[in-house]
Amino acid sequence: MHLTIISGAARPQSRSNTARIIEAFSEGIHAGGHTTEVWYLSDRRQWGQARSAFEKNENILFALPLYVENIPGLMLEFLEGLSPKEKPGTKMAFLIQGGFPEASQSRCCERFLKTLPQQLNCAHAGTLIRGNMFGVRLLGKKLGGRLVQPFTDMGRLFAEYGEFRPEIVSGFAGPEYLPEKQLRQMGGMGNYIQRWSMRIVARRLGCREKLDAKPYHEVSPVQRKQ
Amino acid sequence: MNLMIVSTLPANDPQAQKAVRFLTSKVDCSRVFYTEEMKISPCLGCNACWLKTPGKCALHDDYEQILKGCLQYDAVVLLSGTSFGFIHSAMKNVIDRLLPLATMYICVQDGQIRHVPRYQKDYRFILLYSGKGDEEYLKYWMERFTLNFYGKSLGVFPLEKCEETLQCI
Ligand SMILES: Cc1cc2nc3c(=O)[nH]c(=O)nc-3n(C[C@H](O)[C@H](O)[C@H](O)COP(=O)(O)O)c2cc1C
Repeated sequence: MHLTIISGAARPQSRSNTARIIEAFSEGIHAGGHTTEVWYLSDRRQWGQARSAFEKNENILFALPLYVENIPGLMLEFLEGLSPKEKPGTKMAFLIQGGFPEASQSRCCERFLKTLPQQLNCAHAGTLIRGNMFGVRLLGKKLGGRLVQPFTDMGRLFAEYGEFRPEIVSGFAGPEYLPEKQLRQMGGMGNYIQRWSMRIVARRLGCREKLDAKPYHEVSPVQRKQ
Repeated sequence: MNLMIVSTLPANDPQAQKAVRFLTSKVDCSRVFYTEEMKISPCLGCNACWLKTPGKCALHDDYEQILKGCLQYDAVVLLSGTSFGFIHSAMKNVIDRLLPLATMYICVQDGQIRHVPRYQKDYRFILLYSGKGDEEYLKYWMERFTLNFYGKSLGVFPLEKCEETLQCI
């Protein structure tokens, strides 16, 4: 199989979690002797080539970060520039990764993506979902590497079946909702640790303000006419 | 009731003009933004609004007026075209740029993880769409999107039925 991978991430390749995930996923594809080509929509100069790759190839994978319950606006803009394929036979698959840990957070986007291939005269080849990916780049090479490592196996299986099989996808997505116990742990001390570690990350990035600062606090509500 | 209307449709779109005229005539105070005449780039996903300059976007374009408007007005009406049954990318870019309304901190809300809101405000949004929108899906997405910002979706209507929005505002 030759797989065209299009990254729908808006973040430049060097800083994108999606890009790291694509690297790991591609390793799995290549392990079986298959080939890939990757286009990054964050670089608008690649849009023309990404468009022709979509037109020419029959195995397409869009990998994207979840943006407000759906695909990033940038990726939607790219899709708007595509014409439906003249001949049927192209398979379109998707890989959604998001910051929140629960699989339920990706369902709204998944539902949209299910309708998309048909509108471009393609067949739907499944959607792989994974949450908890916010830290991939922030955690550095080693820890971030551990987060993306499972995608290599997914790449291998995708190449083997030519699609994301539902039974594999559901196991990989993790729990639909976090168990009560885990949710409870996020309060109290868990909440304190979470805030403390985020402040450390922010400080390292040069932030000197409170993370819950309200820069537009002074903006007062519009007064109604009497 | 006062309203902010954000239209990603062309200002000379007759249906959009009609809807804007209708809505602005029914409320005490309103402000209309035509994004076609503004510069609103897609969100870069740099997380600066969470981790570097909390609450402020790293892209200094016209998004700020819309973000402020969300805090100032009682309700926001979104006028959007459609793509693949969903909202058009021009509107999705506006929505993605609302991220500074949330903080990086997380909490649990109704059994799901959410970001802690930055401001104490009950945001209220209405979507009016033109073209072939999948209304059921748009309603579902609006519920999810507004939930993320601790707001409420007041409804989704085709542009030609904009009179129906009056029931919700
Ligand atoms: C504008 C914006 C909206 C986001 N919306 C969601 C969301 O609805 N659900 C979620 O789980 N993560 C959301 N995230 C988090 C990203 O999906 C996550 O951090 C992802 O790993 C970023 O990948 P990237 O580095 O390739 O952009 C959002 C991030 C941004 C910048």
